[in-house]
Amino acid sequence: MLARPHSVMIDGGACIGCVDCAKVCPTRAIRVRSSKASVNPDLCIDCGSCIRVCRLRAANAVTSSPEDLARFRHTVALPSLTLYAQFGRDVDPAQVNHALTQIGFDTTYDISWMCEMLAGATDAYLSECNGPWPKISVTCPSIVRLIQIRYPDLIDHLVPIESARELAAKLLRKKLSAERGLRPEDVGVFFITPCSAIINSIRDPVGLDQSYLDGAFAIRDVYPMILRTLKDGATSETSESVSRRGILWAMAGGEIAGMRNRNTITVRGVTDVLHVFDHIEAGDLQAVDFIEAYICPDGCVSGQLVVEERYAAQRNLQEIVKRLGAQPEVSEEKVRSLLRDHFFQIEEQIVARPVKPLGRDLRESVARKREIDAILARLPHKDCAACGAPDCATHAEDVVRGDATVDECVFVRLDQLQARTAPEEGTS
Amino acid sequence: MTAGVDELLYTESFTIHGNDYDRGGEVSARVKSILKELGIDPLLIRRLSIANFEAEMNVIMYAQEATLVLEVRTDAVCITVADRGQGIPDIELAMQPGYSTATPEMRARGFGAGLGLPNIKKNSDRFSIESKPGAGTTLRYAVVLS
Repeated sequence: MLARPHSVMIDGGACIGCVDCAKVCPTRAIRVRSSKASVNPDLCIDCGSCIRVCRLRAANAVTSSPEDLARFRHTVALPSLTLYAQFGRDVDPAQVNHALTQIGFDTTYDISWMCEMLAGATDAYLSECNGPWPKISVTCPSIVRLIQIRYPDLIDHLVPIESARELAAKLLRKKLSAERGLRPEDVGVFFITPCSAIINSIRDPVGLDQSYLDGAFAIRDVYPMILRTLKDGATSETSESVSRRGILWAMAGGEIAGMRNRNTITVRGVTDVLHVFDHIEAGDLQAVDFIEAYICPDGCVSGQLVVEERYAAQRNLQEIVKRLGAQPEVSEEKVRSLLRDHFFQIEEQIVARPVKPLGRDLRESVARKREIDAILARLPHKDCAACGAPDCATHAEDVVRGDATVDECVFVRLDQLQARTAPEEGTS
Repeated sequence: MTAGVDELLYTESFTIHGNDYDRGGEVSARVKSILKELGIDPLLIRRLSIANFEAEMNVIMYAQEATLVLEVRTDAVCITVADRGQGIPDIELAMQPGYSTATPEMRARGFGAGLGLPNIKKNSDRFSIESKPGAGTTLRYAVVLS
């Protein structure tokens, strides 16, 4: 079987095997063997914590390359809303979109109105569904993967609504190929992404057989080109406006800000997400209707592939919203009618991908668990990760699963060495 | 080995401290991760975790200390929570949904709705409760493995 795709690539030349990434990985998917880090694709949720922590920039996101654009007769850039927040307080989204057409894309398309519609669709869905509560947003692809792997019994809590970028790409491909007399596959739709999770949601989609997007470029890679274009005085010919409610989706709390339902919670960052999901699994928080959760500490503006500092980015967004002023809302009737046509609905069921149990049956699993406990008792509990596993418990499990040997632990090896030399000292 | 003979496969015990709201839910989370490792059906883990969380919070709110014993058996996962605490004078009353002796402080934290014990019973296949006023309460509950 082919390895499951994931979005993180470790550059073996740059990696020195320091274990920073292994320690920070929330699903313990990384091991350092022979001084090089490697990622277990079955456990990776594409959160990008490794990319963020790596001081040598050895962990990177696998993005599209400019050559990929050449495969299409017409190319479209779908900027994440976070892109609008990268260029200070005074640059308008229309200027950013215009700049994208100057750096190699034929068209750009703003997804903020789609986000505003999704907020309405979520409201309508919540008012019509029967639980289990609370419902959880699918906006952050890392959250969806985390639930598939670590919290499979929370799958029924996910709101079965497709992401704004996929819906926009689906519409655009249809529209542009019809308008320009092209085959749908001649249109290349690329997302400008703040994070690695979205990249993998395109390569290996959840709730969808195949992505409507053709690839993604990192914000930090296109940033210098856009900045140069903006400095050259690029001004947009159109004054087409973005949605003030939609644009807030770039930051944590933005999704619920545009909803009518106020019985909602925003959860920020991986530590809090694990804490809250543990509580939901225990049946807590059932009185809450909806949870917007992000693996990154402030939502998309704090993705690993952005340039602007995340607090500044949020200020920039607020400034853009202020300039947009009052706006009419997307019609509720329109959203409800699209909802009835299943426009927003995910195409496939989201399935669980639970971690492999220790054994084939309960008896074998218990036997292995005992072996793990016995090995763990010999380990120092320092969680130093020098063995390459993030902590002693994981090392013990790796040994029992046959992926490591116990004496890869330096403390175990020291004990063995002392045991060997001690009797000799006695005989001299 | 004869099929159908009930046998204890794994056991572990945990201490829960009264009034330790900060670590509330920690023991149920640890039990949950053990059961996940052992490959127990997620739906059964879910039911048991709900029961464990309620039992744990009951100890934190009302008792000084308790021991939670997890027993994985061939036919069921069994939990015993024995606390040192004030005990329950009228068990029948305590089992009634909505009956609560919670203080305003507990209610402010979102607990004390009087659904704890009924919820434990609802989410388990076997349930029993013994209590001695002034000494403590022992809960026994289990989910049956299919």
